[in-house]
Amino acid sequence: MFAGLRQSISDWIFRATAPEVPPVTLVQRRIFILPTRQGYTFGFTTLVLLIASINYALSLGFVLTFTLMSMAGVAMLHTWRNLAHLKLRPGRCDPVFAGQTAHFGVNVETPAQTRFSVAVRRTDEQPVYADVSVAETASIALPVVAAKRGVMRCGRLEIFTRYPIGLFHAWSYVDFDLRVVVYPRPDPSAGMPPAHSRSLTEEGIPVPGDEEFHMLRPYRPGDAPKLIAWKALAREQELLTKEFSAMASSELWIDWEEARALDVEARLSMLCHWVMVADRFGQSYGLRLPGLAIAPSRGDAHRTRCLEALALFNGGRP
Amino acid sequence: MRSVALSPHLDVRNVMWLLAAMVFVVAPHLLRMPYWVSIFFLAIVAWRAWIAWAAIHFPGRLVTAALTIAAAIATYFEYRRIVGREAGVTLLVAMAALKLLEMKTQREVVLSIYLGFFLVLTNFLFSQTIPLGIYMLACVWIFVGTMVGFNRVGSSPTLTQRLRPAGALLVQALPLMVAFFILFPRASGPLWALPTDSRSGATGLSDSMKPGSISNLIKSDAIAFRVQFEGDRPQYSSLYWRGPVLADFDGAAWKVAEDQNVPWGDAYARREKPVTYTVTLEPHFKRWLFALDVPAKSQIPRGATLRPDLQLMTSADIRERRRYETTSFLDYRYGETLSERGRRAALQFDENRNPRTVALGRQWRREAADEAQVLQKAFTYFNREFTYTLEPPLLDPRNPYDAFLFETKQGFCEHYAGSFALAMRAAGIPARVVTGYQGGEVNQINNELVVRQADAHAWVEIWLRDRGWLRVDPTAAVSPLRVEGGVNAALGPIGMLPSLIAADPMGLLANMRDAWRAMNSQWDAWVVGYSIDRQRQFFAQLGFPDVDWRTLGFWLMAATILVGSAVSVGLLVRDRPRRDEPSLAAWNRFCAKLAAAGLARAAHEGPLDYLRRVEAAQPSWAPQVSDITSRYVRARYGEGATREELRELARRVRDFRAA
Repeated sequence: MFAGLRQSISDWIFRATAPEVPPVTLVQRRIFILPTRQGYTFGFTTLVLLIASINYALSLGFVLTFTLMSMAGVAMLHTWRNLAHLKLRPGRCDPVFAGQTAHFGVNVETPAQTRFSVAVRRTDEQPVYADVSVAETASIALPVVAAKRGVMRCGRLEIFTRYPIGLFHAWSYVDFDLRVVVYPRPDPSAGMPPAHSRSLTEEGIPVPGDEEFHMLRPYRPGDAPKLIAWKALAREQELLTKEFSAMASSELWIDWEEARALDVEARLSMLCHWVMVADRFGQSYGLRLPGLAIAPSRGDAHRTRCLEALALFNGGRP
Repeated sequence: MRSVALSPHLDVRNVMWLLAAMVFVVAPHLLRMPYWVSIFFLAIVAWRAWIAWAAIHFPGRLVTAALTIAAAIATYFEYRRIVGREAGVTLLVAMAALKLLEMKTQREVVLSIYLGFFLVLTNFLFSQTIPLGIYMLACVWIFVGTMVGFNRVGSSPTLTQRLRPAGALLVQALPLMVAFFILFPRASGPLWALPTDSRSGATGLSDSMKPGSISNLIKSDAIAFRVQFEGDRPQYSSLYWRGPVLADFDGAAWKVAEDQNVPWGDAYARREKPVTYTVTLEPHFKRWLFALDVPAKSQIPRGATLRPDLQLMTSADIRERRRYETTSFLDYRYGETLSERGRRAALQFDENRNPRTVALGRQWRREAADEAQVLQKAFTYFNREFTYTLEPPLLDPRNPYDAFLFETKQGFCEHYAGSFALAMRAAGIPARVVTGYQGGEVNQINNELVVRQADAHAWVEIWLRDRGWLRVDPTAAVSPLRVEGGVNAALGPIGMLPSLIAADPMGLLANMRDAWRAMNSQWDAWVVGYSIDRQRQFFAQLGFPDVDWRTLGFWLMAATILVGSAVSVGLLVRDRPRRDEPSLAAWNRFCAKLAAAGLARAAHEGPLDYLRRVEAAQPSWAPQVSDITSRYVRARYGEGATREELRELARRVRDFRAA
């Protein structure tokens, strides 16, 4: 009960709001600052120094004490300033397979002055530190192990700093609603896609693959960069993709019904493995799930489409 | 671009910085401590450095516990206690070293750094001179630089990247520090009683004197007491501040007479030239007060008594600053009737020690017709071939005065006074040693006479028939300047920079030395000596007499707010980002409105691409969006825009409703 109350108070104080529209600039009212534990210890130290200076009537002791006290005040400004006016944008959040480490990306820019040791972290996780210089955008990637298939949300991020001397913790919250698509974990024990799923085609007709050069065709988004005809591009022709032919005898359907396993996740793992295998062999393949069918094709865009379908599969329910 | 996922860790270079800072801050202590402390401290620092460098294991808990106990025991055997200034600081230094040996986490690093700040303070217990102040400032700088290093997580800062932010912090802290220093109300005394030896060794006369005891004292520039005269200040050469009178002699040390009731003869036969003054005495943890020769018996300060040897004593140790007013007679004659008991006490000495000095005294007696001639011979003798120096050679502990008079011939006031008094006793003239202070330094600002430990002095009183007790100062025979102009005047040409000053025809070095001394006295008066009195005086000079701590507290708050906001403004306004160029600002507002309606501009999207997308998504907005976009593109990328056009753009953005 108290935890809930605390959370709602903290949400109210720190203005937990809906996901924000980038870029977010850390303006004055967004930045909070409090002493760290080190800061409190420092305060206690200066108090002891002050008492000793009074007691022993040490003028230079007073000088020392007051220097440290004022320095703490100045350090507060420096810490605050180290965060102020930073501009944040969402960064790369590439999809991963379950069990791999996903990265939530945040890009940080500074309008002036290099900022040292700016850290970003998710609630209760290890922070990632970066220096932000005027010349280049700092890309901070927060590593998170993707345990489960599906969409992993980053949640609210804390951006903070304790630079220069660690007496104060200045922080701000930002929520870009970053997400990473987590594909099912491929199951290598699934082996090759089942043979009887192949429908026979006429032997000897070239089908797209990657063994022998066949023809140039217009570029389609998703074509692998290594297949782009750079020489043709250099001759100021349009963007073309080289197509290779393979002697293939079948068109492959990767089918939910073929994956015989105990539960949904295990089945998806098998399907995922088959998609990867088919993609690796340059095979043209389609994907059939309950309530969804993706027509046979190939290439990176197609593979991504299939993997996303597997990642977001909800058992055929709408 | 570097991004490291690391918690704060102990970087080798950071650890080395901290170790260096520790060595720097402890170095002045090591110079004045027993040598085993230096060995202990440096060995442990080296060990810790090796641990960091070679990434080897830390010692086990048993080892550090054993070292801790060993350090405490060694400290106890060195000082016979573990509290008090010397012992306490020794223990603190040892413990700081051991703390380094246990330092494994960021938290312990922080504690070590704070301990370092405390060690800076302990240095001020021993000295508060300008050079030490500067040195300690450098140490604080390094410590803050170390803090900066430990807070640069994931990257190893360069020397500049450590010292520059640290320097900036210290420089920006300066205004507030000065305000606090001036305004913070000073206490009138310590908050609790200090350990009894907190001033041992360095300051204050003691109840015995042997060769070397005063010349140690003389190196301290701590203030002994300050004097405000009513009316004119007496001549410098008559400023003999009488302290402990030493009549017992064991062959090496002169001591305060064990028998306090010896009738020395203290009746005044003549009392002329009275002078009244107020003394502000610093605590010296002994019972005597100081007064000029000779104190008036009618004006004894409250709580004090005047003993038969004209020594002013209080009933308890002086543990806090004390002010008293008293009167003295500069032209006097006293003690013409010396009792037989007093006479015997003033002639006593050990025949077996210092035989050559004793023989010399007896020889003078034989050759002289009367006591005046004995004195004459003695002065001639001391005038001839002795050198006044603060660094006399070591003397044979059994016959120190023989060694001094016949071998080394270099000494300080206690050498002269001690050997002179012994020779007088051998010659049959009753004599005793008087210690105290001679002279002082006039503060030109408030006309106050400041007497420092450096003015400590020893002289001799002899008793002559029909004349009573008579002050003779054998040091004056050797170095008249000592009595005319103070220790520095006496030492200046001989003791300090002999060859350089001699080869300085323009007087440049002498001028520099004078300037340095003037600076030091200002420093002592206004920084080191900035006490409650000085604070009152300072504000009185500004036209605020009688400020109390409430007023000061109020001003302090006001100053904190004022200076604090000035520094904040200076710091924060300077780096506020420049305002966007007006057309860009208007465009950003426009994009924000569209974004709120769900059509955020992608980072890579140019204005025209964006326009196309918005038009496709919301055809009804097309005219307005197209108008604004083209105005913006013209203003920013085209021929530019007049002030009116910019205003028009801003107005249209304002009026645009994404609904």
